[in-house]
Amino acid sequence: MHNVLLVARREYLEQIRGRAFRLTTIMVPAVFVLLIAIAYFSSIGLGSHRHLVIASNDANLANAIRTELLTPKSSKRSSESKPPQIDVLAPATETDRLVLQKQVQSKSIDGFLFIQTSSSAAPIATYTSASAADLTTNGRLNDAVDHAVVDQRLAGFGLSGSETSALDKGVKIETYQIRRDGGVVKSNALASFYKGYAMAILLSMTTVMYGLNVARSIIQEKTSRIFEVMLSIVKPSEMLAGKLVGVGAVGLTQILIWVVAAALILTSSLATAYLKGDFEIHFSWVEAIMFPVYFILGYFLYSSLFSGIAATCETEQELQMYTPLAALPVWLSFSVILVIINDPNSFWSVALSLFPPCAPIVMFLRMGSEIPPAWQFAASIILMVISIWAILWVSARLYRIGILMYGKRATLPEILRWLRYS
Amino acid sequence: MSVVELAGVTKAYETKVAVNNLSLSIDSGQMFGLLGPNGAGKTSSIRMIMGITIPDSGTIRLFNQPFDRKSLERVAYMPEERGLYKKMKVLDQLIFFGELHGIAAAEARKRALAWAERLDIADALGKKTEELSKGMQQKIQFISCLLHDPGLIIMDEPFSGLDPVNAALLERTLLELRDEGKAIVFSTHRMDQVEKLCDAICLVNKGEAVLSGRVREIKSRYERNHVIIEFEGSSDFLNSQEIAEVNNFSGHVEIRLKHNGNAQKLLKEASSVATIYRFELVEPSLEEIFIQTVGGRADA
Repeated sequence: MHNVLLVARREYLEQIRGRAFRLTTIMVPAVFVLLIAIAYFSSIGLGSHRHLVIASNDANLANAIRTELLTPKSSKRSSESKPPQIDVLAPATETDRLVLQKQVQSKSIDGFLFIQTSSSAAPIATYTSASAADLTTNGRLNDAVDHAVVDQRLAGFGLSGSETSALDKGVKIETYQIRRDGGVVKSNALASFYKGYAMAILLSMTTVMYGLNVARSIIQEKTSRIFEVMLSIVKPSEMLAGKLVGVGAVGLTQILIWVVAAALILTSSLATAYLKGDFEIHFSWVEAIMFPVYFILGYFLYSSLFSGIAATCETEQELQMYTPLAALPVWLSFSVILVIINDPNSFWSVALSLFPPCAPIVMFLRMGSEIPPAWQFAASIILMVISIWAILWVSARLYRIGILMYGKRATLPEILRWLRYS
Repeated sequence: MSVVELAGVTKAYETKVAVNNLSLSIDSGQMFGLLGPNGAGKTSSIRMIMGITIPDSGTIRLFNQPFDRKSLERVAYMPEERGLYKKMKVLDQLIFFGELHGIAAAEARKRALAWAERLDIADALGKKTEELSKGMQQKIQFISCLLHDPGLIIMDEPFSGLDPVNAALLERTLLELRDEGKAIVFSTHRMDQVEKLCDAICLVNKGEAVLSGRVREIKSRYERNHVIIEFEGSSDFLNSQEIAEVNNFSGHVEIRLKHNGNAQKLLKEASSVATIYRFELVEPSLEEIFIQTVGGRADA
């Protein structure tokens, strides 16, 4: 045990003092903040700096739509977004449509809404732009056209402007979530989902990153032949255990730094001013406990797998060929994200959250919607511990022989023989 | 006291027998050379002594006890491929190895400083290993082996990478350690150093011990059929029927006589055509014995 702690301490101090640790400790949260900021600002209002044209045979309707589009949806957002430039072309004809199409093509405008009304039928609206997938713009346009048309129809029935506004005022449903302890908290599906998603990404990134760190450290010791010296003093199992514990402690330290930093930032007056209403995020104690638990389990799963693989490799380049093995469960977990959003308790959601390589990520994606039952946590943890034990059993054997084998990459039959010998 | 004792040790890897029925004994206060060509089984033997691998058959005893990992605390090992953590500072590294050997950090630090002074490398203690020259790294590795005051020191090619000044310093240090009663085993290809330093040797070839014993005793087993001649004049005598092999260095020749070749006859032939300054009948060098033994077996 003394040697395990010494090896772990050396590994821990070397990594903590390294430039890579300082860089990732600062860069990872910075990249997260940047991504969230990009997502947030890009979602604000109708795409800013846009130049749109509303063309219609009905000038009143066109102007009403323009007013709707320029009216901010929430006071908070209005101060942050730059309004788009919207011109009205009315009355417009089919010839105007062709001219507008050319303008889109030449990029002098970003898009145009062409709306034709007739007394006998419902208005026909088309939106033409250079980009097909601008969901925000399309959604806002739909809302604006709907409101303007309904207002116009109501006005046709003789209602005043203030009466029509009062009638088409939407109802906002406020959502609440009942926690396991019976407490009721205000919830927001989108914010909760993003929270779960962010935690799952952080978890997948750190477990795989530190798992690969162990592997890289093994290859470096193998190429520098330090194993020969170390193995004359400590047992291979002590070396492996020390390495796993040391690098794992580095990961936990980094997470602790992030958590403390996040707690300080989130409780600051600036953050509390911003993170309210739609962006109010609740962290439960289950998430606070499960994050380090799943980090440790995930880290041991991947690091024990990669330590075995690394012992059979000669260079870091060879090791890189195996990295898709780590990425595969991550891809699989995130590929079922829609299934999890729709029903976090569906068969596939539960099955994947019990499948050890995917468990940490899927559990946190599920926790974004609701906290899974305790038995599922227990089952996933037990299954992960069993898997870690099995992988460690194999890896320790490969490690014992592999680290002393130099010169060429081990073939599969050789690896099988190593397992048999040890 | 016998420090290392191998009795009938065999180790095979898959299809290759690395060590076959090897027996040897090394005493305290003895400098022992483990010799042999590349792939002969030296490293495999050392790894078994160090408990890195386990023999398939035979027994290993350390310090008169059956092999036990505990006894490795009294052993130092310096492998051929030096192993140091490149990014670690030298002093931290030495303390780490000292602690692994069971010494308290403060004591390890004290010993590291003393050894660094002794080997004239105190300036390097604050540097990272990767900043040091190969020779300096070699010295650091050497110190890391000795901090725990081992009774048995095993070194694979200890002089490789050292300049003559540092090689001489290491030689002196090894002799001092031997005089303190430590058993020192080293494997090398440098026969001149073996001849100068070793009390006993074991020559291994293809996993088997082909020659072992005290150096003087081994050399005395070989007939004195080597002649060194320094001369001036004609070198026609080098065509003599008595000669099996000649290394001619213009004015200085090293000759191996034929089996039963007559040295006196050769002297007469030489002095009849040249002025002889030196005519010395010498025993074969260890290098010649090595080549003769290993080469002979390889041919067979």
